[in-house]
Amino acid sequence: MSFAIATTLDQALAAIADGARPIAGGSDLVVGARHGKAPLPESLVAIDRIAELAEIKAGGDVTRIGAVVNHARLMTDPTVVGNYTALADAAALVGSPATRNVGTLGGNIMNGSPAMDTGAPLVVMGAQVELQSTGGTRTLSIAHLWDAPGSNTAAAGELCTAVLLPPPGDRCGSAYVRLEYRRAMEIAVVGAAAAVVLDEAGAIVNARVALAAVAPTIIEVDGIEDLVAGRALDDDGRAAVADAASSQASPISDMRASDAYRRHTVGVMARRALDAAVRRALGEEIAVPVNRALGIGAA
Amino acid sequence: MTPPVSTPVLSEPIDPAALPRFDRADGPDKVTGSGRYTADLTLTGMLHAAFVYAEHSHARLLSVDTSVARSMPGVMSVLTADDVPDVRYTHGTADRRLFAKDAVRYDGDVVAAVAATTLEKARAAADAVVVEYEPLPTVTDLEAALADGSPLVHPEWQSYDAADGVERSGNVASFSSIAKGDAHAAMADAEHVVSGRYVADASHATPIEPRGVVAQWEGGKVTIWSSTQVPFAARAGVCQTLELPTNKVRVIVPHLGGGFGGKCGFHYEAHVAALAQAAGRPVRLVFTRREEFLAPDRRREGMIVDLTTGLRSDGTIVARTAKVLLDGGAYMADGEFFPQMAAMHVAGPYKMDHCHIEASLVYTNRQPSGSVRAPTAPQGCWAVETHTDELAAALDMDPVAFRKLNAVDEGDEGCVGQIYNKIGLQDCIDAAVAAVTPEGDLGEHESIGVAIGWWPSFPGASGAIVRLDDDGQGQIVTGAQENGTGSVMTLRQLAADELGLAPQDFQIVYQDTAAAPFDGGSSGSQTLINNGRAVVAAAGRVADQLKELAAAELEASVDDIVLADGAAHVAGTPTKSVTIAELAAAAGGGALLVASGSEDPPEYPELDTEGGRIACIGDQGVAGWAGPQFSCHAVHVRVDPDTGVVRVLNIGAAHDSGTIINPLAALGQIEGGIMMGIGQALTEITHYDEAGNQLNAGLLEYKLQTAADTPNVKVVFIEPGADGVGPRGAKGLAEAPNVATAAAINNAITKVIGTPVRSLPMTAERVWAASMGVDEGSQP
Amino acid sequence: MTIDMNNASAVTLRVNGTDYPMLLETERNLLGAIRDEVGLTGTKEGCDDCECGACMVLVDGQPVNSCSYLAVQAQGREITTIEGLADGQQLSELQAAILEAGGVQCGFCTPGMLMSATALLDRNPSPTREEIKVGLGGNLCRCTGYGRILDAVERAVTIR
Repeated sequence: MSFAIATTLDQALAAIADGARPIAGGSDLVVGARHGKAPLPESLVAIDRIAELAEIKAGGDVTRIGAVVNHARLMTDPTVVGNYTALADAAALVGSPATRNVGTLGGNIMNGSPAMDTGAPLVVMGAQVELQSTGGTRTLSIAHLWDAPGSNTAAAGELCTAVLLPPPGDRCGSAYVRLEYRRAMEIAVVGAAAAVVLDEAGAIVNARVALAAVAPTIIEVDGIEDLVAGRALDDDGRAAVADAASSQASPISDMRASDAYRRHTVGVMARRALDAAVRRALGEEIAVPVNRALGIGAA
Repeated sequence: MTPPVSTPVLSEPIDPAALPRFDRADGPDKVTGSGRYTADLTLTGMLHAAFVYAEHSHARLLSVDTSVARSMPGVMSVLTADDVPDVRYTHGTADRRLFAKDAVRYDGDVVAAVAATTLEKARAAADAVVVEYEPLPTVTDLEAALADGSPLVHPEWQSYDAADGVERSGNVASFSSIAKGDAHAAMADAEHVVSGRYVADASHATPIEPRGVVAQWEGGKVTIWSSTQVPFAARAGVCQTLELPTNKVRVIVPHLGGGFGGKCGFHYEAHVAALAQAAGRPVRLVFTRREEFLAPDRRREGMIVDLTTGLRSDGTIVARTAKVLLDGGAYMADGEFFPQMAAMHVAGPYKMDHCHIEASLVYTNRQPSGSVRAPTAPQGCWAVETHTDELAAALDMDPVAFRKLNAVDEGDEGCVGQIYNKIGLQDCIDAAVAAVTPEGDLGEHESIGVAIGWWPSFPGASGAIVRLDDDGQGQIVTGAQENGTGSVMTLRQLAADELGLAPQDFQIVYQDTAAAPFDGGSSGSQTLINNGRAVVAAAGRVADQLKELAAAELEASVDDIVLADGAAHVAGTPTKSVTIAELAAAAGGGALLVASGSEDPPEYPELDTEGGRIACIGDQGVAGWAGPQFSCHAVHVRVDPDTGVVRVLNIGAAHDSGTIINPLAALGQIEGGIMMGIGQALTEITHYDEAGNQLNAGLLEYKLQTAADTPNVKVVFIEPGADGVGPRGAKGLAEAPNVATAAAINNAITKVIGTPVRSLPMTAERVWAASMGVDEGSQP
Repeated sequence: MTIDMNNASAVTLRVNGTDYPMLLETERNLLGAIRDEVGLTGTKEGCDDCECGACMVLVDGQPVNSCSYLAVQAQGREITTIEGLADGQQLSELQAAILEAGGVQCGFCTPGMLMSATALLDRNPSPTREEIKVGLGGNLCRCTGYGRILDAVERAVTIR
């Protein structure tokens, strides 16, 4: 088994081209290996010391979040909290201070768990994923990154180097909420993210909702705009979004919850996420994470 | 809510900041990392142990082939049932061997053990042991297990040795009943009758330290370092199973990383000792968290409770009947008294003239159940106190008023005829409710639920030695076991007070069976009441010796000598004194200041079973309670009705555990017990497959409460000043806080969603389902 | 004769200000390296799963579950363990406060709890009680119910 520490992106890409697996914090790899899910890869290259992967760059027509930016930073970074609030909500709910410190955005999305917290926010905010290899760079819509639980569509030799987000507009708001049974060290039972754009009168121009832990991958709820666009968010809209989320979910039953309960509660989460996103778009300050600020899950 | 009708003796909640400091002797060790726990011990030449566990929850064991494992490099010993004495152990019923022999009966049964030079090699060798099984039908449904024709977990149960009084038959490992009067006739005459079924899942002790054992042989004697709560019981188990005399087995407990009952009993000390003997080298076993969940025979038992209560329209209870089934798992462990204890808990601390309660501990092909902090109590209390709110509702009575009307008080007779002395239960109810009632209105979807609980004290044999060395500094040599509660640490306070010294003047030699007299270990909340009695007696004898010396030195009467502030004084003559250090220095030349203490423990009340009004079949001695403790928890919760998620916001907890000797340590027990109770109430669920295999043996899916979930807790100690069984009128303490919390939470949830939750834990999904009119009532 | 080094490589870990050269296999976790190679056993293993926090150490001042972190990843970084908190015999404010507040019972979670609390106060010198709860959310304690530990952190803040 070999292990190398890359300090430049070129070093990392060269190692990955030779078959090395990238490792940032390593939590998923190390825990998975010791629990017999998958042995540690034969060759590892550490990417957590590559400075350019740890940057958050705003401005121009894209906001770029480096792949090894950790959750602790996402939940406090002014750019993320101010403009991509759902992502900050999600980061703040991950595990504990230690897991938020070690876990990175790139690791989270490339791990491809359908229960990941950062995935649904990135979907509703229209994120692109930047993949680099020694052969070049490509971007793809984040929704196309996942194809099955724990799996991604990156090619051999490709490294996730950044998540790219569109610049913030006026009267935008977003939020991520999840169902959790306790207030730390939780994994999403179900989760939902919403992002909205309002017009000057407060009517919804644009709205998207995505769901966590109710399908083999993060899914976006179809037809949200038909349900809520063109008017201020009202109870009919809230109920319709909840119904759409529940009906489009295809949850499993496991130890954490039954399929019926997940189907019901993901609708509740979708409704609450949309509600919080609209309130934020209207200028209300709702602290990160929404779960705590609004008492989601009786918090 | 009923306003308090009387002012309790000590009704004010404790202000932690105002309490006297508790200087733990083990404190500096524990905050600097220098303290050694069992897994921290390394001996030269030490090997590492790994176990081979059953691959089926019930199967005939056809063959165990260890040949490949034995031949692997670095493997120094491999043991199976063929390699140790053929001894069946366990006090209540001798139903278990160290290694499975003819059959395996749960997923944590040990089939073989390996010791190798590295842990990785030991685990690889364990994986290489080839075991042939013939699967047998499994027993996991408690009611089906009692039916004619059910497969038996122990087909040969009749051939097992059993303790006197253990009522057994087929899959019933132990049956008990408590009965008084004629419950069925009284029920027929009752004006209101309310019935309910309450089903509790199994849960776990979950100490943060997984257990460890290190064994080393020297000259035919073995020293075993073990993370056990009960070193003397562990020693007895080793002696029995390996057929060794007591004085060749020494059990030492390094710092113990919590137990909560999970580390009571004899566990794996003999396996490791046998491995070490076979290998001729020291061996260390350290459990993974998964093993800690799966293997030990100390799971909190699942329970099905069917309760019926008859009432008069004035609100008084006239009769109660109940049937309780307890999931005992594959082996008896220490569960023989569980049925009688469960019966006491579903009867509850109430006045009633007629009751008939039957309880059965049922063998299943699941992990064995055993004493976990207040065994049977939180589940039994949850059942009966949920039921109690249903009784009050049936009469349209306030549930607090209903409890105050029916709860026992001084002079009242309880369910099995015991008449109570001055007790603090009524004051507990008032104080707990007052502590949690807000000044303003409750918020949306919020409510307060109340429950009362009880738990006995357990007087028993215990010994200690107290010694002053020639500089006047002391040693307490005690058989008592510190599991974290601080009860052993508090012995310094007791000894110091007897001798006029400071607690810091004493060191404690503890947790070593070769050094100290017997003690029952950190089980049954018994350390401070029993070993405290021993230490007070021993220190008192040393004090007498000091007074003799001082009387001679000061030319005063012995009766006039007072020990205080590190000196012997003559009463009424402040100028005449001599320091204890000076006396000790003089004594060091000959008259050693040393004494032992033990003293007879207080007796248990006898039940009046003459004449047949009161009858206890399968009596295990836990119906007549010495030093009964009482408690009331009032819990303020918020429920998210859309999801069923419950959050506990505030708790008022009032406890009569007799005189409180060390308030800061006592507070820690109440708060810790409550938090464990919240976990059991809401998030700590054990999942099994249909064959009885545990599915969530890890801390991700078995969810303890976190710091982020901590509610505000206000604690009130009610000290009625009577009925204590320990020093200064103390009763037991540390289990009592883990009785009433879940019940109070259910009663609060019920007020929000309109119906009680009939399954424990009351997971978010179950609360939601109950609110939707669906109650799964899954069987444990 | 061949010597199987089991792909171990020469690594130096800096723990509590001291460099420790050692041979480490890539798959060794930081917890194992600290306990078995460096020989500091104050850092505990409670779950091997990132769930209990007993193995908490600081890496460059930030909290890390050392059970789930490869030791080789910590090269060139400052590792702080429970043994590094006191200044000689002088306990840190948090160490003293947790004793005074009654926040120590069995002590098995205590080292990890103190490391998380230390990291919390380093990034937020005057946290609210709610922030303390969140800051200690990754450290399970079964004994105390957390109340005395939360009080201890508040006490340490006021001592500062």
